[in-house]
Formats: sequence, structure tokens, C-alpha cells
Amino acid sequence: MHGRKAYQLVKEFASGEKGQLKPFNRELFGRVLEECNEHHGALQSLIRKMQEEGLDVQTARNADHYGALIHHLSLTRNKRCLMAYMYNRAEIIRVLAWKVGLLHELPEEIQEKLSDSEEEYFKDHAKTLKSYMSQMGLDVNVDMVPPKDPYIKVRVLEDVGGGIILSDKSANFARHSMHFLKRTDAEQYIARGLMEELTS
Amino acid sequence: MAGQSDPHVSLFSAEEVEFIAEDEMVEIVPNMTIERLNFISGDFGPFLPLTVNQVPLWLAVALKKRGKCAIRPPHWMSVENLTKVLEEERDSQGAFQALPFHYVEISRLLFDHAREDIPDIYLVRSLIEDIRDVRLHKVETSLEKFSGTSAVKIPNLSAMEVNIIRPFVGRALQAFYKHDNPEKIPDIDRVSSGQSRVANSEPPRRPLRR
Amino acid sequence: MASYYDIDDILTEEELVPVVFHKAANGVIIDPSSETNSVEQGAKVELPLWLAQELHWRQAVSISAPPCFNQKTRLEIQADAACVDLRSRCPYFYEFGCKILPLVGDKTIEILLLSAFKIRYKETLTKAYTAAYTATSKVLTLLTREETNLYEAAQSSMAAFKKWRMGGPRLQRASVLGRKRKPVN
Repeated sequence: MHGRKAYQLVKEFASGEKGQLKPFNRELFGRVLEECNEHHGALQSLIRKMQEEGLDVQTARNADHYGALIHHLSLTRNKRCLMAYMYNRAEIIRVLAWKVGLLHELPEEIQEKLSDSEEEYFKDHAKTLKSYMSQMGLDVNVDMVPPKDPYIKVRVLEDVGGGIILSDKSANFARHSMHFLKRTDAEQYIARGLMEELTS
Repeated sequence: MAGQSDPHVSLFSAEEVEFIAEDEMVEIVPNMTIERLNFISGDFGPFLPLTVNQVPLWLAVALKKRGKCAIRPPHWMSVENLTKVLEEERDSQGAFQALPFHYVEISRLLFDHAREDIPDIYLVRSLIEDIRDVRLHKVETSLEKFSGTSAVKIPNLSAMEVNIIRPFVGRALQAFYKHDNPEKIPDIDRVSSGQSRVANSEPPRRPLRR
Repeated sequence: MASYYDIDDILTEEELVPVVFHKAANGVIIDPSSETNSVEQGAKVELPLWLAQELHWRQAVSISAPPCFNQKTRLEIQADAACVDLRSRCPYFYEFGCKILPLVGDKTIEILLLSAFKIRYKETLTKAYTAAYTATSKVLTLLTREETNLYEAAQSSMAAFKKWRMGGPRLQRASVLGRKRKPVN
């Protein structure tokens, strides 16, 4: 049936957990595009046939017209499915900036799910946000939860290595070590699951 | 709000509702002299030992955490008043008793940070929990009565209670409205474009929405 | 009006509807009973709603009510709306119904939708706020997508409130990262 592959693509997106990203389905996406080309070809050959028969394509309502119409509708349906797939993924990717922060590259488990253009999109979006923040002189990428205390106690869950940037101190962040950090410094590491907040 | 991008989360998170509640004023009794404090939200103090001051809850909690004051529990948090409210809450089927808009958040913050300042804390805590449960149950009962498009008015519902039911009620009302008045929400785009196509039999062009 | 990018709207429009072709169409394989790659005038075919409605507006096909709005379902809904497995009949029963309405011109579908929703709404509500029903409960498998959305909205805001009431860490790992991986030792 027409549009079935495009439907599968959208269905796959919808079947995931809410707010979760699935790997970009290059294969299915490509096959829908192929199908679009087939519809386009069929549409054109039907129109050509009508022209050869000397019919006015604008007004003639013969079986070729309705065939062409069905191909046209299938084409726009496929397009809508492809667009919705891209758009809704892009929405999730845009929100990533607020969920995992901009301080570092995206975590690997997300990065591997993105297509090249989606990666590009996130990078550009992050760049725009960063330049906005530096112009405003304000970090709007912290305090996603209303803050309580400026300092919190954290435990390091995974080896964070040397990549840690702290505003007011340096320490050895070995796994399982505990620290008293500025909340705004710790926030992104917690969001990425590298540290956990400890409550007394 | 962080939740906005996710339709499954309420517009405000519970933490955000709590944040708003922290602007409510409470009375504190400082145990030391503190100079006048100047904040974006206003100036507070100067504070003198054993002299009652009105401050926002967030400031009260901050001073309390540092051992600089005692917090006076608000009057409505007395065992006497809460017992009365609970009784009335149980007696009146439909109506909700008047409690501070942020009673859930305020009581939670005070239980967390000023337990020794609240007389009979265990009783107070269980009374408030009972009141909250009775009220939530009542909300559910009144939601069950929805049966069509009518304005919904539930007076005296508190901030947290509203926040809990908002995602559900919003969707439910929308669905009721949709099925109750299908003719009121015509599919303008489709209807008009469909008709024009039939009328002049133009070659199919689908207007790209948005 | 649902958005162009609305996933649920797109999925709703994939539901099949029975149509009768008033015009022939060449060069398309959508009639499984046809041996050629064309559709004859008078052919009875099941088409997805997105295609059927557009052809209907151009008077190329006529649409009849899909099976999920047949007499049997109606009687079952009248008997005990809450227990009918609407999901297996049509996961987007209400939205699909609203879209089908103007195409088949059957006002009784409108009444059916409202009465079904009214009764099932109460059930959904009770289930949503009663902890006894977990996500795996069998009753939930009877709900349509629209009802499940309602149910989940109620559940998740209640769960968020309970989590807040319990206290604990305010900052947490982003849920978008999915399940936690085992840390490499």
C-alpha cells in the first residue's frame, strides 16, 4: 500500500519512550525517499501520456488523471511523514541543550543516534545559545531545577578524567570520591550521570 | 518552564511550585542581631534578638539552617485549626475548606527545616497529610462528575492540588469540548480547501500548513 | 486543527476506510483484486484515510463507515462502554471518528463518540489515581491512544508530586540518556 513505509517510519518514532531518541533510521528514511522518486516518475509518465493524447492536463478527468492524483497524494503523504520524522526528532535534539547542558560535547549514547545533519543542528543550536549567553553575560543553562543551596554534596559515579571545569577549585575526581561542589558546576555532570547528588 | 516541551509533564514541576511558595511571608524570631538585608525582592530587617520579623519563607529557611532564628508556625498550622479543617473537609462532600494557597508546600518546607519550632509536629504532620488526602480524593470525585462542556469551578483548591490535576483536566476538558461540539471546531483548512478544489477542479495542490 | 507535524494525527490518518471508486485510475496498484495496475470504476477497496478523504473531496470515491463504528461495536459500547477493547478496534478511535464524521455524514457516530468517552473517561480517571493499577495492568490495554494519554498525564503528575513529597536529590540524570549503562570497571 502507498505510504506504508513512511507510516512505519513515523510509527517507529512514536513507539519509543516519551522524550527518548531512537537511532536515526537511515535505511527506512532512504527507502521512503526512493518511493517518493517512484511516485514522481509514475506521476510524470501519466501526465506525459495525457499530453501525448492531446488532453488538457488542467481540466481532463480521465483514469490517467486519477492515477496521477493518487501518486501526487502519496508523494505529499510521504513528504509529511518524512518532515514529521525530522521535525519531531529535531525538537528532542533542541531540548537536549537544556537536559544535558552545553559545557561538553553530547554524551556518546546520544551522539550515536543522530544523523550527520542532526549533529550539525545541535552544534549550531548550542553555538547560538552560547553566543547569546555570552552577550547577555548570563548562564541560562544552569538551575534547571529551582536552586536551594549554592553548594551541594556529590559522589563521582564514573571516571570523569581531566575534563572537569570548575569555577572555584580543582580536585581529583576519582570514581566514588565525594565532593562538596558549587551546584552550578555539578549540575551538568549530574545530568550526564557522571555524578550523583547526595542528600543528608 | 522546563516541562513545557514535554506534554506529559505538568506545566510546572512540583519543585517550581515550591519555589513560588517560598515567597510567602512567615514570622521569624531571630536569636541574634543581624543588619538590614538588601535583596532584589526587597529589604528585610534589621533583625534583633527575640523581636518578631516578617520575611519570605526562603529567607526564613536560610536563616534557620544557619541557626540564626526560630520560625513561628503560621496560625492555620495549629492542631486545633487543622482538626477543625479536617472535620469540615470530611463533612462537606463537594466544597473545599479555605487553606492557604500554598499550604502543601509551606508545611512541607517547615517540616523539613523547622521541625523543632512546630509544637506537636507528628500530629500536625499527620493532620495535614489527612487533609491533603481527603481533598485529593474529593477532587477526583468532582472530576468524575464531568460530563460535558461546562465551566469547571472548584473554589479553594491549592496551588499544588491544581498542579497535580492540571495535565489531566486540561486534556479531559479539551476532549469533552471536542466531542460535545464537533460543529464548533470546523476543520477550516480542510473544509475550505476541499470545497474550492471541488468547485473549480484545480489540479491538486495541498497547501503546506505552518 | 492538528499540526502538519503531529505524529498522532499522521498515525490516525493511516487507519483504513472502505471506499468505492466512482472513477477509474490508471497506473496505481491499490486494488489487490485487480490483475492490472489500475483501479476500475466501482472497485471496492480499503484505503488509508489520508488518501480516501482527498479522493472523496474530489468526488472520485465514496466512503462508508469503517468497521470500528459498525453496529456490533455500537451495541457493545451501549452495553458496557468501559469494558470494550477499543484499542484493538482502532487505537485512535475518537480522533478517527471525528475525521470520519464529515466524510460519511453519519451523525450517530458523533453521539457514539461522546457517550463512549463520557463513560470511559470516568474509568480512566479512577484507574489513573488508584495506585493499584500499574502500567502493566490488563485494563490499560483496552484504552485508546487518546485515553492512554489522559491516563499517563494523570499518572505522571501524581508520580511527580509523590517524588517531591518524598524529598531526595533534586538534580538527577537526564532521562533522555535512557537506561543507565553499566559503568565500565
